Amino acid sequence: MEALQIILAGSLVAIACGLLGCFLILRKMAMVGDAISHAVLPGIVLAFLFTGSRDSVTMLIGAGAIGILTTFLIEFFHKKGRLQTDASIGVTFTWLFAVGVILISVFAGKVDLDQDCVLYGEIAYVPLDLWITDSGQIMGPRVLYITGTVLIILIAFISLGYKELFLTTFDPAYASAIGISTAVWHYLLMGAVSLTTVASFESVGAILVVALLIAPPATAYLLTENLKKMLLITSLLGVVISAVGYYLAAWFDGSIAGAMASVAGLLFMLAFLLSPTNGLIAKHRRKKAILKPSGV
Amino acid sequence: MIKHVDNPVLEVHDLTVSYDRKPVLWDIDLTLPAGKLIGIVGPNGAGKSTLIKSVMGLTPNSSGYVKLFDKDLKQVRDRISYVPQRESVDWDFPASALDVVLMGRYGKLGLFKRPRKADRDIALDSLQKVGMDAYAGRQISQLSGGQQQRVFLARALAQQADLYFMDEPFAGVDAATEKAIIEILREMSAKGNTVIVVHHDLQSVTQYFDWVILLNMRLVGSGPTSEVFTTELLQETYGGKLTLLSDVGDLIRRERFPNREQFDKAQKPK
Amino acid sequence: MDTFFEFFSFADPNIRYVVIGSLLLTASSAIVGSFTFLKKKALVGDAVAHSVLPGVCLSFILYGEKNPIILIFGAFATGWLSLILIDIISSHSKVKEDTAIGLILSVFFGIGIFMLTIIQKSGNAAQTGLDQILFGKAASLVGNDLIAFAVIAAILILSVWFFFKEFTLLAFDEDFASTIGLPVRAIELLLTTLTVLAVVIGIQAVGVVLMAAMLITPAAAARFWTEKISTMVWLAAIFGAFSGLTGAYISYIAPSMPTGPWIVVVISTIAFISFFMAPKRGILYRMNNQRKIRRQINDENILKALYQLGEEEKNFYEKRTIEEILTKRKFDPASLKTGLRRLKREGYLGNESGHWSFTKAGKHKGQRTVKLHRLWELYLTQYLRIAPDHVHDDADTIEHILTPELETRLEKLLDYPTVDPHQSEIPYQ
Repeated sequence: MEALQIILAGSLVAIACGLLGCFLILRKMAMVGDAISHAVLPGIVLAFLFTGSRDSVTMLIGAGAIGILTTFLIEFFHKKGRLQTDASIGVTFTWLFAVGVILISVFAGKVDLDQDCVLYGEIAYVPLDLWITDSGQIMGPRVLYITGTVLIILIAFISLGYKELFLTTFDPAYASAIGISTAVWHYLLMGAVSLTTVASFESVGAILVVALLIAPPATAYLLTENLKKMLLITSLLGVVISAVGYYLAAWFDGSIAGAMASVAGLLFMLAFLLSPTNGLIAKHRRKKAILKPSGV
Repeated sequence: MIKHVDNPVLEVHDLTVSYDRKPVLWDIDLTLPAGKLIGIVGPNGAGKSTLIKSVMGLTPNSSGYVKLFDKDLKQVRDRISYVPQRESVDWDFPASALDVVLMGRYGKLGLFKRPRKADRDIALDSLQKVGMDAYAGRQISQLSGGQQQRVFLARALAQQADLYFMDEPFAGVDAATEKAIIEILREMSAKGNTVIVVHHDLQSVTQYFDWVILLNMRLVGSGPTSEVFTTELLQETYGGKLTLLSDVGDLIRRERFPNREQFDKAQKPK
Repeated sequence: MDTFFEFFSFADPNIRYVVIGSLLLTASSAIVGSFTFLKKKALVGDAVAHSVLPGVCLSFILYGEKNPIILIFGAFATGWLSLILIDIISSHSKVKEDTAIGLILSVFFGIGIFMLTIIQKSGNAAQTGLDQILFGKAASLVGNDLIAFAVIAAILILSVWFFFKEFTLLAFDEDFASTIGLPVRAIELLLTTLTVLAVVIGIQAVGVVLMAAMLITPAAAARFWTEKISTMVWLAAIFGAFSGLTGAYISYIAPSMPTGPWIVVVISTIAFISFFMAPKRGILYRMNNQRKIRRQINDENILKALYQLGEEEKNFYEKRTIEEILTKRKFDPASLKTGLRRLKREGYLGNESGHWSFTKAGKHKGQRTVKLHRLWELYLTQYLRIAPDHVHDDADTIEHILTPELETRLEKLLDYPTVDPHQSEIPYQ
């Protein structure tokens, strides 16, 4: 039962991250996703301090706002400060993340977070952290409700805005020419990334959110050439990563989130080598076949 | 030789466009007639693509205005189509040829609505017009350069617009595709559509276009091909750039000067 | 305050070690980072930093204790491996470089965390403190460790000093570097090796998570103060060292605090100050510059209006009221008044009981503005084929920016014309 709950939580997080990650990597914004997932930390800590709890909607909104602020700052330093983009990203997120870690150390007594949790979460405690209603009824693990809600919001966002996300990602110039605002969809997407990161943070931590944002979509990207299938494969990979990661971690008695990231990497490596269309081996064979036509 | 027309499809008034404050187009004044196949010609860095991007509202104007069908761009967006340069998008993108052509219908569909059967039919029809109907389901990464350009053209056709802007549609395509594309463009203009093409091959200009715009940071000529495409004007377009002009442009960028005195605009005595 | 003096008197040899160590580590990573910054590869440093974690853990698992040399070897190996993998993935598949960087960074770090948690639960007592590698701890820089790290830091600084010219060229123009016969690949390899080494030793003070900041931020801050590479590298080193020193101090007064985040906050603050305050490139400087330009345009327009009034009445030194000036050109009343007062202070105008008149210098300046306006109008009609009724707006701007050098060129090019396209006279001195 506990195993199932943990795997379910992991799957929800992995699917949510993966769906957004598909758009991030196609927009060549993988590193912006990395930056946001670090930068929301001070937002989370401050929300903790002010509200004193971790399940409030304020926290999601507050930290989400900081995520969007991060993209604003990156663009501000780039455009107004004329700092190259990569440096602008690097300076902004390391600063915000450092501030977050310091806040945690300073308010160690008041904030129910520690440095390790920030890095690799505590998904193992999912079954212990129950949502109990005012009347005392036990509703099950709290994290499942949060990540489940976020996933539903995301799926609604992507299916309603699929057309616009698709076009602004593939050909932004054409999108603005026919009157679709690239800026609006950019910030909506960044907002969604912030929201997902915050919701996933306590389960898998900052850097493993990045692994789930990037690795499954990159794997699916090598397996298909259809965006809808890519989203679907990414979701399936998310479930596989969560389940295999859990048992791997149980086997070696290590961090579940760490194991999930390792499995995600392994799956990418398999796709990179073995994908029937884009794999290294298939490509190598094709090259050979061209060099040595059959019958010669 | 700058010829102006009555009831123009496109009117560009006193347009100055800058990148990082340096003007790349100076004071362009231009009117274009309807139903013509029009070529924009000039050397590299002359601002050809910038001109159409600016007309489409993709780069901010430093001064001046643009009217399309005597209206603002926003009011007539659905009558105008834009074909960006082929290299401007990532062709590894997971999409099929049909997916890309369907994008041509997005503007008419509006927010949140999905393409219907009628839209698919129009898209398939457009693919057929460019001779790509057999490739509808093919992934765009597997198309040749010429085929990719045809898909872009089909997307524009699916928009069913009246005015088309095309940025270098002949760049890096095979001879057969170039011929096929120009056939379609001729057909379009014969039907009364206006097609404006950024072009860099001087050899084919007289053969392809009814009207030519000669551009090099400023407008050198605009008019019927036979009148404008002359040795003298070509020499002015391609021979030596105006060093004084570009030095002033550099100065504006270095000193961070405004392109226009924005704060007391429209208040000066006439 | 006592601890402050105790620390900065450097009387305690332990404090001395920690200070020397932190300075060397942060300064050397800032120096090497300057070149990754200039090559626009800042985020690659981030990938290397995260990727050393599995190497450190692996060498601990294999060796069984924390030997600095062994750990450095392990870190160096996986750091390099990450770069090779990023290169292979982005060149042998359609996956783009930024995705490859993010992928390798997070997966390697995940593997590292997985190993680290296994080690922590293994019960090996020697592992205590291994997790300090995540956020850094300057205070642990003592004894043999310090010697090992100091040697590497010295190697880094010396290498950059020896290959300064080559690295500069590589960062600036790789193609040119190879055409003049530099072994570009070898130099690139050397620079990458130095970057990995800088990360490997820098993590002692800053930790793997925030190490990227030590490579990027000092260089980004330094870039705002200078256009010269050697100055930039020096400044980056000084900024880096300063933040390292602060980190060591904090580690001393609050041992439970992780050092890395404090170092990063200090260096980020320096960077933000630079972004805003630095002369020439700073945001505030440029905003102020815009204000000056607006003032200059305003004042020259006042002089131009007075000159035009004088032209009409053939009397340049007549006293004018504000209302008269406003007939020539609409000004914002407030900026007109401050402009007039400023022009008086600068000696261009005189004022008698509310009436304004030119001084000799004022007339001269107003005349120059009018002349430039008309010359530019003529240039636009003659060289840009612009209709005479469309040139005014453009000339209204350009008249303020033309330098005496451009003015002379313009006069020569147009062959000292006497009238503009509207048949107004072009006034010469």
